[in-house]
Amino acid sequence: MTIQGALTILMYALAPFLWWILGALAVLVLVQLVARLRGYRALHYRCLGTNLASLAVGLSGLWWIPAFTHSKLGYVATAFDWVAMIGAVIGLTIAAWLVLHPLSYLVRAPRYVSLGDAH
Amino acid sequence: MSRSPLAPVRLDRRQLLKLGLGAGAAGLLPLGSLQASTLSTRARIVILGGGAAGMAMANRLSRRLDGARISLVEPREIHHYQPGWTLVASGVWQPDKTMRPNANFVPAGVDWVRQPAVGIDAEQRRISLADASVLEYDYLVVATGLQLNYHLIDGMSPDLVGTHGIGSVYASIEGATRTRDAIDAWLAKGGGKGLFTAAPTPVKCAGAPIKMTFTTLSRIRDTGRRDAFQLDYLTPGAGMFSQPWINDFLKQRFDDEGINRRHHYRLSAIDPAARQAEFTFVGPASEFTSHHELRQAEFGREGEMTEVVDYDFIHVVPPMSAPDFVRESDLIAHEGPFRGEWLDVDIHTLQHNRYPEVFGIGDVIGAPINKTAASVKAQAPVVEANLLAQMQEQPLPARYNGYTSCPLITDIGKAMLVEFGYDNDMDFLPSFPFIDPRDESWAAWVMKDRMLQPAYYAVLEGQA
Repeated sequence: MTIQGALTILMYALAPFLWWILGALAVLVLVQLVARLRGYRALHYRCLGTNLASLAVGLSGLWWIPAFTHSKLGYVATAFDWVAMIGAVIGLTIAAWLVLHPLSYLVRAPRYVSLGDAH
Repeated sequence: MSRSPLAPVRLDRRQLLKLGLGAGAAGLLPLGSLQASTLSTRARIVILGGGAAGMAMANRLSRRLDGARISLVEPREIHHYQPGWTLVASGVWQPDKTMRPNANFVPAGVDWVRQPAVGIDAEQRRISLADASVLEYDYLVVATGLQLNYHLIDGMSPDLVGTHGIGSVYASIEGATRTRDAIDAWLAKGGGKGLFTAAPTPVKCAGAPIKMTFTTLSRIRDTGRRDAFQLDYLTPGAGMFSQPWINDFLKQRFDDEGINRRHHYRLSAIDPAARQAEFTFVGPASEFTSHHELRQAEFGREGEMTEVVDYDFIHVVPPMSAPDFVRESDLIAHEGPFRGEWLDVDIHTLQHNRYPEVFGIGDVIGAPINKTAASVKAQAPVVEANLLAQMQEQPLPARYNGYTSCPLITDIGKAMLVEFGYDNDMDFLPSFPFIDPRDESWAAWVMKDRMLQPAYYAVLEGQA
């Protein structure tokens, strides 16, 4: 298959979800941008609650990803099924973390910044 | 309306997205893949049919031929994604998901003739259209699809689908939707007998009758009253599927699931009001391919072994053949297993066996397997290469290996990606080394549910 063929398939597959994808990307970019303008640095800010929440969002995919595909978790059976599912869960966890982590910083920023200033 | 080459370019969201993605990837492509060689010609090419096969050929030939006069004969405005009909009839998809305007796929520069063809004069190279006009050709691509012969089942008509407990996923998108409703009504009754039939001829998507059996069983299980429902599968042949491993698997699975298999029975008549179906025992030695001949012989025979069966729901699979106007032309097979019913082509080169300027593609051709959209994907580049070679009076370079694919749904939510071809007794031809065709998997289901429709549209555009 040519690259153009692959792109055509990808285009048709993503088209029904285009606005959802663009919306999610916009939220991610906006939150990251605003947080960074206010001093957010991913590796310097720690928040256990955000990490756990992101993990919960990722793990929730075990329920709704099969449902989204008109299936159920019990039918995830072969090795490749599990590779695909675990990959999706990890991707979902990372995406959630990229939004929730800076969001948490913004919510807690006044206290966090003032504590930082005290030092 | 075909797109004029001089019309202003209007890009919709889909095309803009593709343009953006394409531009991004363009730098990664070697130059050769961007510039397919073209052939300058003034030849008149007629493509009969604008389904998957005809549309794919229109797009491919319009790119490869410079100056050719290409006509696409297709009366329908709407393109139906027929592989999705089993999902509609099973209540998984909404019907509108399977429909798109044909105008989205007809390439610029191709003359879209919105008339049904009614005759082919192969000697004079002329196509007769319903409005009494005539198209002359130098080269012909027959991609008409096939014809559903419900009339060969006494008492049956496609209008009955959705009434009297009758379903038939093949009838049309409306028929698939009404089949879903008929199954809903049967499930709501809380029990009863369901008959699932197979046809005595080659059929398109040969796995569909089996898929309908499995998805209905899946829905029955969801009611929690499996024991109240009886499912019988009646088939004219000894087997259930062309691929030997899958055939054995299906027989075992049907037995395990308590679906009664009854072989060598052909649906010969139906009494909708009484909800009764008549089956004729056809015997293991019968030849079924030429169903019209079989029917003519039966009318003069007495004392046949028939059995009348009551049902609450019946899924009817009609006998199929090439459309009548193809059957009545000299392009039809004159001998062999496809005589009188299917287009006479070489099953490897897809060139007509007696008219070298004619090629066949898709459901209409006489071949042992392959009436699927996946087969069209493999056939289209073969017909393209061989037609161009024929136009240049060169040996035909490409051969079709019989590739076909059936995402065999075994339950709503899981499937087997069965791909196979002619060679080595229909041996598997898996496209993905990480998906075993013997495994029931979620990934194969996701491909059926989410990915094969996009791949199908790429085939229409001649991109896959």
